[in-house]
Amino acid sequence: MELLRPSSPEEATGALGNGSRALAGGTELVPLIRDGLVKADTLVEIRDVVPRGVTGTRIGAGTTLAELELDGEIPQALREACAQAASPQLRSMGTIGGNLLQATRCWYWRLGFDCWLHGGETCFARDGAQREHAVFGNDKCASAHPSDIAAALLALGATLRTTRREFAVAELYRLPTDDDRNVTTLAPDELILEIELTTPDASTYLKAMDRRKWSFPIVGVAAARFGGETRIALAGVAPIPWLLDSVAILDEATPLPGTGYKVEIARALVRRAIEAI
Amino acid sequence: MARLIRTEKEVEGRYEEVWIVVDEDALDRWPAGPLTTVGQRVPRVDGLARARGQALFTADLQLPGMLHTAVLRSPYARARVISIDLEPARSAFGVRAVIGPADLDQLTDEPGYVGHAVAAVAADTFGQAQAAAERIVVEWDVLEPLLDADEAVRQESFVSDVANYERGDFERGLGGADVVVEAEYRTQVVVHNSLETHQAVCHWEDDGITIYISTQYIWGIRASMADHLGLPPDKVRVICHAMGGGFGAKNSPGDYTPIAAELAKRTARPVRCALTRREENVAAGNRNATIQRLTAAATTDGTLVALGGDFVNAVGYSGWSATTEGPMKMLYACDNVRTTQYPAKLNLPPMAAFRAPGFVEGTFGLECLLDELAVKLGIDPLELRRMNYADSDRTDDRPFSSKNLAECYRRAEPHWAKRDEVRARSRGPWKHGIGLASQIWYGGGGPPSYAWIRVGSDGRAQVVTAMQDIGTGTRTAMAQIAAEELGIPLDHVQVSLGDSARGPFASISAGSSTVPSMGPAVRSAAADAKRQIIEIAAQRFHLEERVLDLRDGQIVSTDGGSWPLTEVTGLLESGQILGQGARGPNPAGMQVLTFGVQVAEVAVDVETGEVRVDKIVAIHDVGRVINALGAESQVEGGIIQGIGHTLSEERIDDPATGSILSRTLDAYRMPTIADVPEIVSELVDIPDEHLTNLGSKGLGEPPIIPVAAAIANAIRDATGAEIRSLPITREEMLRALREAEAREKERRGAAAAV
Repeated sequence: MELLRPSSPEEATGALGNGSRALAGGTELVPLIRDGLVKADTLVEIRDVVPRGVTGTRIGAGTTLAELELDGEIPQALREACAQAASPQLRSMGTIGGNLLQATRCWYWRLGFDCWLHGGETCFARDGAQREHAVFGNDKCASAHPSDIAAALLALGATLRTTRREFAVAELYRLPTDDDRNVTTLAPDELILEIELTTPDASTYLKAMDRRKWSFPIVGVAAARFGGETRIALAGVAPIPWLLDSVAILDEATPLPGTGYKVEIARALVRRAIEAI
Repeated sequence: MARLIRTEKEVEGRYEEVWIVVDEDALDRWPAGPLTTVGQRVPRVDGLARARGQALFTADLQLPGMLHTAVLRSPYARARVISIDLEPARSAFGVRAVIGPADLDQLTDEPGYVGHAVAAVAADTFGQAQAAAERIVVEWDVLEPLLDADEAVRQESFVSDVANYERGDFERGLGGADVVVEAEYRTQVVVHNSLETHQAVCHWEDDGITIYISTQYIWGIRASMADHLGLPPDKVRVICHAMGGGFGAKNSPGDYTPIAAELAKRTARPVRCALTRREENVAAGNRNATIQRLTAAATTDGTLVALGGDFVNAVGYSGWSATTEGPMKMLYACDNVRTTQYPAKLNLPPMAAFRAPGFVEGTFGLECLLDELAVKLGIDPLELRRMNYADSDRTDDRPFSSKNLAECYRRAEPHWAKRDEVRARSRGPWKHGIGLASQIWYGGGGPPSYAWIRVGSDGRAQVVTAMQDIGTGTRTAMAQIAAEELGIPLDHVQVSLGDSARGPFASISAGSSTVPSMGPAVRSAAADAKRQIIEIAAQRFHLEERVLDLRDGQIVSTDGGSWPLTEVTGLLESGQILGQGARGPNPAGMQVLTFGVQVAEVAVDVETGEVRVDKIVAIHDVGRVINALGAESQVEGGIIQGIGHTLSEERIDDPATGSILSRTLDAYRMPTIADVPEIVSELVDIPDEHLTNLGSKGLGEPPIIPVAAAIANAIRDATGAEIRSLPITREEMLRALREAEAREKERRGAAAAV
């Protein structure tokens, strides 16, 4: 395996594609490679080419979660989402850009079952062990997206600047289809460089976990209020972060037999989040 | 004089009759309560070395030329190997040896569970071994696995005989009852997940083998590996200096030790076989799941008139069937008890003993059911337990060697009395409550076990015995016992253990038996040395032996005379005083058990199903306490492990294939320090006057036993919800809450109709 250390974003994107992968904090990519879920002959170390740190409302994609959870200037929803993610060790390494791109924790996918999301025919979770799985957008694949931070950025209406374009964070994600099982719209040689925030009047992030610390969300609820408008997004409920256009959408959830409880928790947390802001 | 006796030996609730030779002089009993060293709060003698990373674990061992092993394990729960080609692995880079089903009994061509070992590779590095193992080509015939425990019972697929028990007449008892409660409880599979995974390093030298292994039973490894290898036992040397956890799963050689021994033989090199964390979560043993269908019946005055249960142990492909029905048979003075235990054989990884196997699961069922009964009877749960107090062992009418459960209940009262105060803390969706559960378990230890002691001319002592310290503080406890008997400071005692070639036979460290089995042998050895010192001192000072004693590093006489110990031992120069001691028998015709009660305070968010344990008060009766600080640490460890079992830990199996889905520590959720409540630990510390020269029982297992039931009962107190299944995840909590709401609605409806 080869490790490249480019000195500019252009050099980095030039080295990406053709099966090479971008390496930042490594908390997600390294385990995926070790488990054989990502095959890459070349890793492109992007730590020195992607911006890091917070300037006003702009966050460098290379900023670690540990740096963000301590930043009093960023909206509370994002700060809380960072503080409640993973463990201190992981937050010290993991970057916000990488966090947005992490893969599902679905055990069938992680253990390399030949599942629909891996390109196969069957979602094993739909008829199998499914307590951590999705309640929305789950007809093809019942995996749940694990990112707390993505839900916070969705609620905050953040935009992303990549090496190619600028777009709303909502457009980073897509439900996988039979023709294309990817859950993001990022091109293989495209790097997230910066996140631009809109400052809300108030925001919060509430998270239900299986234990008090170091756990992916059963349900995460981010809420942000901009004047009279409140935006709500959920983590852990669909194959991608899920923007809730209205509270009534919760009635349209399609839980599996083992995931109905997530809807109940989401209802309670959404109500509490709205009350809190 | 050596006496040959026949006695009953118990480990983890399993009994056997054994012959033993007893060679123990009766010693005066120490007074109750803390003594000079015994009973005090003593930090671990090896604590600093552990904190500095200097303690030598099997996982730390690096021998020159040592090879590493990767094991190919079955991906199928039930299959046949049609053909296996090891050649691609043999030709891989760095590989020194490859073995398959034809080479070793522990490698199978008919796997019965996911993780069953099929082949193994030894290579210069672990990475090379793993890469080579992936090149092994297997053609499988995949068969339909049996995964459902109730279905196994229907098919009579069992690992051993169905166990029936009845005393009195259950049906008649039920017929005379005023109140009957019935419920089905389920407990999950949990995994030990010791910090140090199962592993051994095998090294053939001098026509024998040295086995470095993370084990709870040096002598058991020696015996079973000698048998396996066809060697005289003395040609097998077993070493374990420090150990990173076992919890019952490291009593035997497993598959990894024979695999390492075979590969070491073929390569003439030391070979390590260490399970990865993922293998640890699949193939290293587990606490098996149970289904318990229980009945409890009482008259209105609170007398239990019938207890009954069908207990299904989902044992897995092999292993033994723990006494899940034990608490129901033993805890209360009920005249009519009927239990049936089904040991279901399934295509799932085999169980291994796990900290009070059976009793953790059975206590959850029984003690939850008893609270349901208390609610129906309108009797205080603590009172109901007192009303049915067992004064003798009702399974065979033996007296207890000692039982201070009533004292535990008495000490629980001030905590239990806070019920209203705790409930009044409820705010909004957070409901607070308090619950309790009793504990009964073995923990008396037994013979044989031996210790030697040597006292040098400097007046310092070394305890030598081939026991193991599995991380529970054994070195410290044994040093305290020797120091107490010899009347010397603790830091004048060293304990040499962990090597079958150094010192006499010692007990298994399982079944809460280390202190009650080994402690008396160490005291006996120290007493033997003390007797000799006094004999010598009597001659030196021209005094009678009966006026002399050892205290505070001095030889003291009843008339006030006092000489430093070294005044006698110093005469010896290189000479030593050698003492030897043996564990005596357990009291004949008596049942030796441990008891306790725990009170839990919890808070439940009734909207999101979050359960927060605020506090657990643990009061246990284990006879004399040797190290008050070490005992507290055992109580805390047991409760933390119990909280994992109660709230978050669960092995996840694929219902279709029997594959294990929770293989990493992010999917298998052990509690973090943030999940640990305030723990108050209190030990009754009354020596068992019938048990050994110490009166001490074991404490390793008791603290984990009542945790789940105490928490579940506190949840009922807080919310009215009946917990029926572990772990109490959010979905189980929300299910129980909705069920309680429906029940309440029905009750109101019925009341309105009247």
